[in-house]
Amino acid sequence: MNSEVSQPLSSIRALELSEIWAGPFCGCLLGDMGAEVIKIESIQRIGRGPINPPANAGGYPNADPGKEPWNRQSNFNAINRNKKSLTLDLKTRQGLNSFKDLVSQSDVVFCNYSRTVMENFGLSYEQVRKIKPDIIYMLMPGYGNDGPYANYRSMGMAIDAITGHSFLRGYPDRDHSSNSLVHHPDAVAAINGVMALASALVYRAKTGKGQFIDLSQAESFMTHLGEIYLENQMTSSIRTRRGNRHPDFAPQGVYKCSGDDNWIAISIKTDEEWSELKTIIADDTLEDTDLDSVETRLQNHDHLDNVINEWTSTLDRYDALALLQAANISSGVVIDCGADSYADPHLNERDFFQIVDHPAAGLYPMSGPIFKFESDQGRITHNPAPCLGQDNEHILEELLGYSRDTINKFETEEIVGTVPLPGSDMGGSRRVAKQRE
Amino acid sequence: MPYGALEEIIVLDLSDRLAASFCAKTLGLYGCEVVKVEPLSGDPLRKWTNSNPGNQSGDSPLFLHLNAGKKSITINLDDPKGQSILAALMKVCDVVVETQKPGHLDKIGLAYNQIKKSNPSIIFTSITPYGQTGPYKNFHYDELTLFAMTGAMYREGLPDREPLRYSGEIAQYFAGNAAAAATTAALFKRTLTGHGDWLDISIQECMAGHPHQIGRRSPFIYAGEPDPRSQPRTSASGAREPYAVGTFRCKDGYFSFLPLGPRMWPNIAKMINREDLMADPKYNDTIKRSENRENLEAIFQAWVDDKTREEIFQAVQAAGVPGSPILQPEEVHKNEQFQARGFFQNVDHPNGQTLRMTGDPFRFSNAPTSSIKAAPKLSQNTNEVLRKLLELSDDQIEILAMENII
Repeated sequence: MNSEVSQPLSSIRALELSEIWAGPFCGCLLGDMGAEVIKIESIQRIGRGPINPPANAGGYPNADPGKEPWNRQSNFNAINRNKKSLTLDLKTRQGLNSFKDLVSQSDVVFCNYSRTVMENFGLSYEQVRKIKPDIIYMLMPGYGNDGPYANYRSMGMAIDAITGHSFLRGYPDRDHSSNSLVHHPDAVAAINGVMALASALVYRAKTGKGQFIDLSQAESFMTHLGEIYLENQMTSSIRTRRGNRHPDFAPQGVYKCSGDDNWIAISIKTDEEWSELKTIIADDTLEDTDLDSVETRLQNHDHLDNVINEWTSTLDRYDALALLQAANISSGVVIDCGADSYADPHLNERDFFQIVDHPAAGLYPMSGPIFKFESDQGRITHNPAPCLGQDNEHILEELLGYSRDTINKFETEEIVGTVPLPGSDMGGSRRVAKQRE
Repeated sequence: MPYGALEEIIVLDLSDRLAASFCAKTLGLYGCEVVKVEPLSGDPLRKWTNSNPGNQSGDSPLFLHLNAGKKSITINLDDPKGQSILAALMKVCDVVVETQKPGHLDKIGLAYNQIKKSNPSIIFTSITPYGQTGPYKNFHYDELTLFAMTGAMYREGLPDREPLRYSGEIAQYFAGNAAAAATTAALFKRTLTGHGDWLDISIQECMAGHPHQIGRRSPFIYAGEPDPRSQPRTSASGAREPYAVGTFRCKDGYFSFLPLGPRMWPNIAKMINREDLMADPKYNDTIKRSENRENLEAIFQAWVDDKTREEIFQAVQAAGVPGSPILQPEEVHKNEQFQARGFFQNVDHPNGQTLRMTGDPFRFSNAPTSSIKAAPKLSQNTNEVLRKLLELSDDQIEILAMENII
């Protein structure tokens, strides 16, 4: 028993080879829970946005990309908290050997690149487990590691489509071409990745064995849609797009409040809620006793929406929320990801935002973590996302015991570095190699 | 004999809402023994929707999905004797998943801080809409109203219309899954230290801390950039090829494309047999392709128009362009990939119906894939569980049943 372990994963070292959402968010949650997460990057191919963005490019502190835009990019910095960064050119023998040295001191390797990327580096599970037999190794491609689609390219939007979620999404009176580009499955893959790695760690603690984890982003999201697939088999009615409505309850919707683009969501499920709503709105047409039956309310949903909209349109959304909640009615204001979120009294009371001092981006309140463990006194630190290669020296010297000379040689030979090579953001290492020729 | 990753862990599932129930289900997929504690009248989710299947048990599709593989016991928790049975179960179990209003379990002496005195290694996972603390902690909610308060809804939909929820019960599933992951991490720590923990999971926070929301909040806080709802294709930033982004109608349905980055342009031009466009001065850089987006989109749509989803799927894979067909839900379990992997499993239900149910979200090479079992009938396992975990005799169990405690 080791009582010094303070956070759930403090004893764990994980190597992350990932970009965009699924892998990076997985690493971010592991880091939140105390794991030492080393993000393996390279100066030959970076996933931190453009190296030379136009001056008016969005997403940089004070709208200024600065001298090191790759260290100031908002998306990257938001989703890579609580990690270290090591750059390695895995296409060189020395870079690959350093990675292998690191594997021998790590517990977990995970990757969300296409399935063949690791194989092409000579870092398949079979090869990596020769270095560290109890390694826990996870690949998380769109459709899984075998089957006819094993090598298919995918993004979250593709997964949303193939699982059936896109079919049910959107306004009932519009066709699918107006579906939004926002897609959720990458994030589901990330949390399932955490679940998979944590389960494998429990298994390793009991048996001494590591393993290969095959995470299909599609399958992991499909477990969130299970009842929809069952409905298709159990009922004769096929689910269609509902927008904000529900087939069994009414009224349900998102209603306009005073001000610009301000809305409140209201959901009536029970007769008690309906009765309370009638009292608050006090509109004569709602007194029709036929409307006390949910069937009638479902048939007259458009009319009910008009009456509710008329009532909400003169109200401040938070005043409406207070009235509805006081009447025990399920309701919520639609908050944006800007000023509304930052002003939300509840998120603030729960310390959802932490002031983070990023060496290249500056001092800002950033979102998350999302877990609260009593053993952390309810507070998990949000450390800034790493600058590119910021931990190169520490890792090579302290962890791998490389000499100063070796590290200098690595820097000269561009195996490690802190500045991306020209072209490394536009098609990556092939292009860099081409320019060298 | 292969060994489930989380075998020998006993989970008490006290849930009556989706997120916590899904948390317990997910733990069960990887070997935990999940005991669902229901009131004598049953979990309200058994009857959640009127779109009822006429299934003999009358249980809803949602209940059957969320409770596959669990055991069901009934306890009357309004009765002090019922509460003491639950307290006894909490002493011998490893994880409690609960979704009561904050403070409720304290009142009946069954909160983490009370139970840990007799079971210091217990892990309590509390999953509530807004968490255990803060001004919204007692808010009434469902998927629609909670989703509104996460930041996700504001960006979903068209600029001149009301914001939309996603389909499905996305926020609640997401939080339940996240809670299962955090619970498993706590279980790992417990194997090293012997200490339990109490997790306070807020569904709002899980969804507000989702990569999409934090990825939008950061440009706002860095530079004041707002992110309103916008037309799906025009919203594509310069980093994308905007004329080929989003969902397009094709011969037999719809197809979604999301090519990332200008490096996709040659792949797309080749895919639609229009490599001539690459030399065209109207289209030969990203800015011009954005300016002439509508022309290109029409060319792209014309290519899509007379092709089936399957034909386009083959073409995008050959061209290396990310994209997938939009399947209707009833097509999903027939899809060749999910069939080849055996993702859906046939599960026999008590009414004689065999249903195709979703399987494991991820697979281990060393630990076995789970075999999905049907959801339990109400109180199906009360006697078995009380005999095994509390060593009650048949007579004791019979008396409790006569007293309407179980």
